[in-house]
Amino acid sequence: MNALAFAWRSLVRQPARAILGVLGVAAVGALLFDMLLLSQGLITSMRDLLERSGWDIRVAATELPGRSGRLTGATAMAERIAALPSAKSVLIVRTADARIERSSGRPIDATFQGVARRSREGASITPPWTVTRGRDARGSDEAVIDTTIAEAAGVDVGGRITLRASCSADREALPPARLTVVGIAEFPFAGPNEAALGGSLETLRSACGGNAADDADLLLVTSAGESRETAAAIREAVPGVHALTNDDVVGRLQQTGFTYFRQISAVLTAVTVTFAVLLISVLLTVSVNQRLGEIAALRALGFSRSRVVADVLSESALIVGLGGLLSLPLGVALASGLDRILKGMPGIPADLHFFVFEGTALAVHLGLLAATALIAALYPMRIVSSLPIAATLRNEVIG
Amino acid sequence: MSQVVVDARGVGRTFEMPAGPVHAVRDVTLQIRSGDHIAVRGPSGCGKSTLLHMLGCVDAPSSGTLLFDGQDVSTLSDARRSALRLRRIGFIFQRFFLLPMLTAAENVELPLAEAGAPRSERRRRVAELLDYVGLSHRADHRPSQLSGGEMQRVAIARALANRPQLLLADEPTGELDEATGAQIAALLDRVNADGTALVIVTHDAALAGRAARVLTMRDGRIEQEATR
Repeated sequence: MNALAFAWRSLVRQPARAILGVLGVAAVGALLFDMLLLSQGLITSMRDLLERSGWDIRVAATELPGRSGRLTGATAMAERIAALPSAKSVLIVRTADARIERSSGRPIDATFQGVARRSREGASITPPWTVTRGRDARGSDEAVIDTTIAEAAGVDVGGRITLRASCSADREALPPARLTVVGIAEFPFAGPNEAALGGSLETLRSACGGNAADDADLLLVTSAGESRETAAAIREAVPGVHALTNDDVVGRLQQTGFTYFRQISAVLTAVTVTFAVLLISVLLTVSVNQRLGEIAALRALGFSRSRVVADVLSESALIVGLGGLLSLPLGVALASGLDRILKGMPGIPADLHFFVFEGTALAVHLGLLAATALIAALYPMRIVSSLPIAATLRNEVIG
Repeated sequence: MSQVVVDARGVGRTFEMPAGPVHAVRDVTLQIRSGDHIAVRGPSGCGKSTLLHMLGCVDAPSSGTLLFDGQDVSTLSDARRSALRLRRIGFIFQRFFLLPMLTAAENVELPLAEAGAPRSERRRRVAELLDYVGLSHRADHRPSQLSGGEMQRVAIARALANRPQLLLADEPTGELDEATGAQIAALLDRVNADGTALVIVTHDAALAGRAARVLTMRDGRIEQEATR
């Protein structure tokens, strides 16, 4: 009977202890797995979100797009960038706060995204939304809306909405604009509880009463070649702006806001691993201490020191292995729930996820569990390794 | 003349205790030959079990020399002493120390597996040993399903698994009633008659009376040796 089979029998012999250990490791392992998913999840998800959008350079007035500060003279700037040989297309994006009226009840607060396209001949331009039903907005009185607005306002494709938009920080009393809904769209950078609608920049300016300045929140650029070179060319052509590739955006986020999640996950990972080590170590130590007589008898019968040590290590590996297996589905379920809670924070895009499965996270998880099994078994292994056979046998008889 | 299995020359064992050293065994000289049947008697605490542990290479003498089959045991590493115990020495304990999660057959098989015997050989030997101790019908029973006498018979079968030259028994009938003890004593007689040297530490006068040599210990020394 090899050490693993022997360890299995030892576990089965004390099912309550085994179940306690396995469930403990499963719970702790699920937390550990989630912390590992969290440590890189936001970065992975953000990179995926940026790459899926189809734009590889973001030009903004500040380092991180979305922060306060607008690009002034946006149209001329977009023309200049579109004229660069390495730029394929440019999209001017301007956002404004909008209130959509309803026949009954409070108006709907929404973010209005107005876009204008500048591109080379034949180049297609992707808007910062995805039309799921109907078509994209083209005319000056057309808009696409998200499902939040569609449901709250009771409007569908072909219907009309009335809204008041504000393009300046000052309070304004503007006449309402009436727009035709031509499509239902998803806005990946909008929050899950945020209502959004999109249309042309002309439509947005018109909804703002025609008094919007020629500025933009950001310019989205598709490069014809290497994005890093195009970004450098933009910075040279338009001094004073921040032209960031997707990698640059992710890098900046890693250095700033997302660092907190990495630090939190590192601390919680250390805590969960420590807890798992203590749990298994206590269970194994108690188990070994209950079996000292048997172990001494086995040593007297000729079982080597390495063999009895291997038995303890195998028992630890089995508890951690079984618990670790259970921890994966448990971790995935827990991650899904936590993701929903965290995405409820304001300003988080609906398509951004905090917990993203990655092969490396699984590999690190398995590595940490293996280390846990080994470290947790160190003390009980030391007990059996240094067990004085004769004294233990004598004490067992006296006891 | 029969072969000397164990040659103890002036062996002693001292335990360092907070109140001062305790001399459990003092200057014992003893030869155990193949086929010997020896009983060790004496009052509690006289050093019987300590001597047995030294003869079985689970404890090392503090003084003197212990030769097993001509080899000085003190020169052997822990791994070599384990191998020596596994293949040449069998142990029987007062409290049996069978593994409760294994069946009788699996308990007997353990030393064979540890010694690396092939599966078919293990099966054959386990069947032979359980038959030898009269427990073929209890092969698949766990210790909790066996009586005290049956557990000790399984322990004897386990001790004999690797055909040891020397069988050491520490109070083998200590936990059994008189009738069961007599059955175990008869089984041990048979083991000895089949060629295994036997050393029994016991308080049981009837069990000691079956031995060819009876050593009486007092204060760590062999006070008297009687030969039958």
